[in-house]
Amino acid sequence: MSNGLQSGIRTRTYKSGSIIYFEGDKSEYIYILKSGRVFLTYTKVDTGEEVKEEVRQGEFFGVKSALGRYPREETAQTVGETIVVILTLADFERMILRNVNIVRKMLRVFSNQLRRIGKAVRTVLGESENVNPDIELFKIGEHYFKAGDFSKANYVFKKYLEYYPETDYAKIAMERIKTINSGGPVKSKAAADDFEDFSMEHDSSDVFSFDEVPSGSKKLPDKGDINPAASSALSSEMDDFLADESDSIDDFGDFGLEEESKPKDTIKIKFEDGESAFKKGNFKGALEIFNEIIDSGLPSSDRDRHYFIDAHFYAGVCYYEMKKYKESINLLAEIIKNWSDSEKYKSAVFYAAQIFEAAGQKDKAITYYNRVLNIQPTDSLNGAALNKIKALQKGGK
Amino acid sequence: MLELDEKFFSRFGAEYSPNEIIFCEYEPGYEFYFIQKGRVRIVKIINDMEKTIDVLGPGDVFGEMAILEEQPRSATAIAMDSVRVLKFHRDNFDALLQGNPQLAYKLLLIFSKRIYDAKRRLMILLLEEPNVKVMDVLIMLAEQNQQFDFESEITLNTTVRQVASWAGMAESEAQKELTHLARLDKIELYEDRIVVKNIRDFQRIVASRRKNLYSS
Repeated sequence: MSNGLQSGIRTRTYKSGSIIYFEGDKSEYIYILKSGRVFLTYTKVDTGEEVKEEVRQGEFFGVKSALGRYPREETAQTVGETIVVILTLADFERMILRNVNIVRKMLRVFSNQLRRIGKAVRTVLGESENVNPDIELFKIGEHYFKAGDFSKANYVFKKYLEYYPETDYAKIAMERIKTINSGGPVKSKAAADDFEDFSMEHDSSDVFSFDEVPSGSKKLPDKGDINPAASSALSSEMDDFLADESDSIDDFGDFGLEEESKPKDTIKIKFEDGESAFKKGNFKGALEIFNEIIDSGLPSSDRDRHYFIDAHFYAGVCYYEMKKYKESINLLAEIIKNWSDSEKYKSAVFYAAQIFEAAGQKDKAITYYNRVLNIQPTDSLNGAALNKIKALQKGGK
Repeated sequence: MLELDEKFFSRFGAEYSPNEIIFCEYEPGYEFYFIQKGRVRIVKIINDMEKTIDVLGPGDVFGEMAILEEQPRSATAIAMDSVRVLKFHRDNFDALLQGNPQLAYKLLLIFSKRIYDAKRRLMILLLEEPNVKVMDVLIMLAEQNQQFDFESEITLNTTVRQVASWAGMAESEAQKELTHLARLDKIELYEDRIVVKNIRDFQRIVASRRKNLYSS
């Protein structure tokens, strides 16, 4: 290897058995072995096994840790009298700018190392190595397709056809693309699956045993109405043919512009009225308005759904402020059980915890504050909940 | 950052709109990318869930494994916002290096850093207990900032999500472990940062667990 050495670059002679650097040292020097022998000793990350490697003459060592500015990962020791070239980072940069071949060689070595480590990481994470790229590529398309992320699904299936036009899956990929281009599948399967999980999880929860409130005592709209994703997919595609047994068909049957815009405006205006009363501390007035929104049922339009959910939340907070805890927890329970995707979900859990605390149910309060801590994303409620827990625990029995 | 003229961009530049796939996991790959503008999300589908592995920004490189090896992509790259990249095919890599030695140097820096990070991550993943893993992630993040004084309190600009991704665990699990540490007053947990009271303490614990790992 031509090193393109120039005057001003230092060489150094070491006696046999000298340490050039120790593992853990921090240094910006890069070395080239000119004559003699150098052994690098390091510990293998995955097995803890000690490995010894000999540097060949003309080879660089200490490159990665110097460039990456991290501690040396190996100890370099000489055998026999040894001469090395010592480069600073600036020397090294000048040298490789004139000799791109060095870079290419190094990149190849680095790339192999990275690939090896990547493989070890995947093994630890339990990701299998023996896979067929064509099947896996198809599966990714399916993932996005089922998730309703059609632009991504479209990209993947197109790529699939480009690379693997002769496979069995190619036909399916082609069909998928056709479906996507014709406006998406008739029924959103993913949405339906999510809903299954969603309802199961919450039906089985032992949430509210506050006083004698039976869980789910308040009348809920039919489940078919709750799932917004399913409704929207259905509403755009629905025809009489599909609609035989659905209770919710009436909500979509008269799906006209006029009807849609009217209730939307009303609910929005109503909600804003409630909100302004709430902000002024007029909880009783706000409560009346929010209860009206709740009584009018879940809106058919997705965009209005959050008013309905938020009305539950604010009405719950109104009751809380009025110290009517039972009424409050009833409403908050609706959110906690049914709308964990709502922006108000975390706050609802927090209020529930406060109500339990106010009612002297300390263990339950702690449980709910703990739940707050586990809801993403981390925000100011986390600190508040943590302080509450600490205070409750300090209070003792 | 690389300073490149418009002529260079017209030859190697490419643009992506938000949420557009740049390349997909398992797709054959022959190109690597330099981000000029915008952010790119690196994701993998694991157990039918899309997991974000990394978020890259201007100056970062991705798809670099394609430079020297013929292997399918190991992850999917998705544009997060309007993204502008330089896209280099392996076939014109040599020409590119010859014409842009600074780029070659930059690639070496990136690879060095990336190998170290990958190794460091592997060390975290090899730990057994989730609480120790989380501690080691915090140590690693502290090591990345040369300015830190390990003898005093350290503020890490990180999120629960990032800690979870480094530790290879679910966000909820990382949240649980971090909350536990916060409860013990070892750390303070905020939306956008984590304050570690005594990083040396964590280093001692992790070092002793790691030693046991090898000796058993």
